[in-house]
Amino acid sequence: MLETIPTAFIFFAAGFLALIIANERARGLLLLATPLLALWQVWTLPGGMLTAVNFFGFDLELMRVDRLSRMFGIIFTIAAALGNLYAWQQRDRVQQVAALFYSGSAIGAVFAGDLITLFFYWEGTAIASVFLIWARGTVGAFHTGMRYLIVQIGSGVILIAGVALFYNDTGSIAFDRMTLNSFGTWLIFLSFGIKCAFPLLHNWLQDSYPAATITGTVILSAFTTKLAIYALARGFAGTEILIYIGAAMTLFPIFFAEIENDLRRVLSYSLNNQLGFMVVGIGLGTEVAINGAAAHAFVHILYKGLLFMSVGAVMHRTGTSKATELGGLYRTMPLTAIFCLIGAASISGFPLFSGYIAKSLVLNESASGSYYFIWGVLIFASAGVLSHSGIKIPFFMFFSHDSGKRPAEAPRHMLWAMGLTAALSMYIGFFPNTLYAILPFPIEYQPYTAAKVVGQLLLLSFALLAFGVLMRAGQHPPEIRAINLDTDVVYRKYAPSVIAMCARGVAVIWTKNAAFFTNRYNGIVRGLYHTHGPEGRMAGVWPTGSMVIWLAVLLGVTLVINFVS
Amino acid sequence: MASQTDKDENLPTLGRMMTWVDRPGSANKIFWGLAVFCVVLLAIDFTLEKHEYVKIANTPGFYALFGFVAFTCVIFGARLLRVLIKRDEGYYGDKTIDLEDYPEAGTERINHDA
Repeated sequence: MLETIPTAFIFFAAGFLALIIANERARGLLLLATPLLALWQVWTLPGGMLTAVNFFGFDLELMRVDRLSRMFGIIFTIAAALGNLYAWQQRDRVQQVAALFYSGSAIGAVFAGDLITLFFYWEGTAIASVFLIWARGTVGAFHTGMRYLIVQIGSGVILIAGVALFYNDTGSIAFDRMTLNSFGTWLIFLSFGIKCAFPLLHNWLQDSYPAATITGTVILSAFTTKLAIYALARGFAGTEILIYIGAAMTLFPIFFAEIENDLRRVLSYSLNNQLGFMVVGIGLGTEVAINGAAAHAFVHILYKGLLFMSVGAVMHRTGTSKATELGGLYRTMPLTAIFCLIGAASISGFPLFSGYIAKSLVLNESASGSYYFIWGVLIFASAGVLSHSGIKIPFFMFFSHDSGKRPAEAPRHMLWAMGLTAALSMYIGFFPNTLYAILPFPIEYQPYTAAKVVGQLLLLSFALLAFGVLMRAGQHPPEIRAINLDTDVVYRKYAPSVIAMCARGVAVIWTKNAAFFTNRYNGIVRGLYHTHGPEGRMAGVWPTGSMVIWLAVLLGVTLVINFVS
Repeated sequence: MASQTDKDENLPTLGRMMTWVDRPGSANKIFWGLAVFCVVLLAIDFTLEKHEYVKIANTPGFYALFGFVAFTCVIFGARLLRVLIKRDEGYYGDKTIDLEDYPEAGTERINHDA
């Protein structure tokens, strides 16, 4: 019975239920039970196209279940369950409903078998997720949310334009592999690229994620960008340009992350950098590389969620996520610190942690495909990941200088969510075959060979040593209260300045133009007034003058009537 | 108050155990411990037979050098970038989250000994 219901609908039904359930505890339980039920459904579904509906003459496939969609479905439902557990204490109905609709839409999009269904869910994720930003309830969050919404809705509009052109060209709306040979497919590619935070299209991510609520950011970090990764893997696997886009994505955020003060923004840059590894894998397009990208997305959702959770827990207790305000918190938040360190070790790719067993797939494949330069870039970026996510996040939050803050340990439900996420992340690191078994393609890969482990440990240990040397030499950039410009300066500062400058120019021309005609008009009026006004020369002959004119008019009219008749 | 909360017995057990990192000399011990670990790893690396696709990666110590240099480049690159793009927190005006405090209502700001 359950297999005929699209997974997304389970979330939507729960969303509507959450709207009417008044009991807060019952709502919290609903938020936990829904993704678990969905996880069980996704796990047990048979493969194939399961639910089709007719929509204005189009056959929409709501449930395409294959290895790729099932894997993303599994991790999305796990992420929703862990995120909702983390938000257990969150009783704000708006956020609860938004979280259900948002995660439901993302899961719906993953199972979409056609581009029109994909579009609906694509927009669904945009609209539902913005409430997780607005729920912060401040002016800054409102403006950030508006910028986020414009970009996300824009991505959807570009998608549907691309789909229309694609349909016009091919007569098909099937969501399968495409090639970049028409304007339509380029538009679809661009739409995916916006959501995937391609370089120069990326800044909505670092702008909006730090603005969301504490629990909202944890939820946000899991879905939107990984949905885009899924869409690229489904639609554009093997598209070579993705290799170079992905390599650029792994590189530039590491420098921005290193000097950013807001730790949730550091994590957003880090997220961007991690997406790069996945995009490279999709660009390489081989079975191993797609497996690598999918595996990376899977583990990334876990450890990135864990890192956002730990920063969120600190925010929950201290009210800030700025590195300049934090430090030395391990004393009173030791469990959160340990969970954060596990997340940091995972993302850095230390052996026995989940990042290692996923990242090495894409790295290996780039080298075996003779993309040596790309391989070098990815290794460089791996050292960069260690610097901002592996060291900066835990070090400046929990160790480093003592901020004097002595906050209580994170609430129990947050600790449970972090603990479970950390355990899952380590379990996958210890037993990689559990993840390899559900990857899109069958895989035979042994990440734990002596050479691979020692190579990775050497890279990370010597990078750590470099950190130690630079810290002792006082060369590590200090944390300072400041922001850093990124591409958002174009639409937050430059474009408004240009528009304001144009407006001032137009205003000056308009005022001068208007003044010119007003002066002429006033001159004429003054002249007439001068001659015909009460004091004017003509005023003396008004009564006789008028009578003579009207007599002349009457005589003229009489003459014309006589003549005509 | 601060001195009272800083007394070891007031800290959670796990936190109390971890205060070792802040004792005088601990940072040095960690650094030199790491250095020794690096040397041992490097020594092991010389004994391993490798079959990397990229030939240069078979050279013993390749990853060690790469890691050290890459990290240093990231740090100095970031410092250079900061010179170019650093701005005040109020650069985008007052309707920005960078100048706002996180709303008190969404948090539970309590001290560990509360």
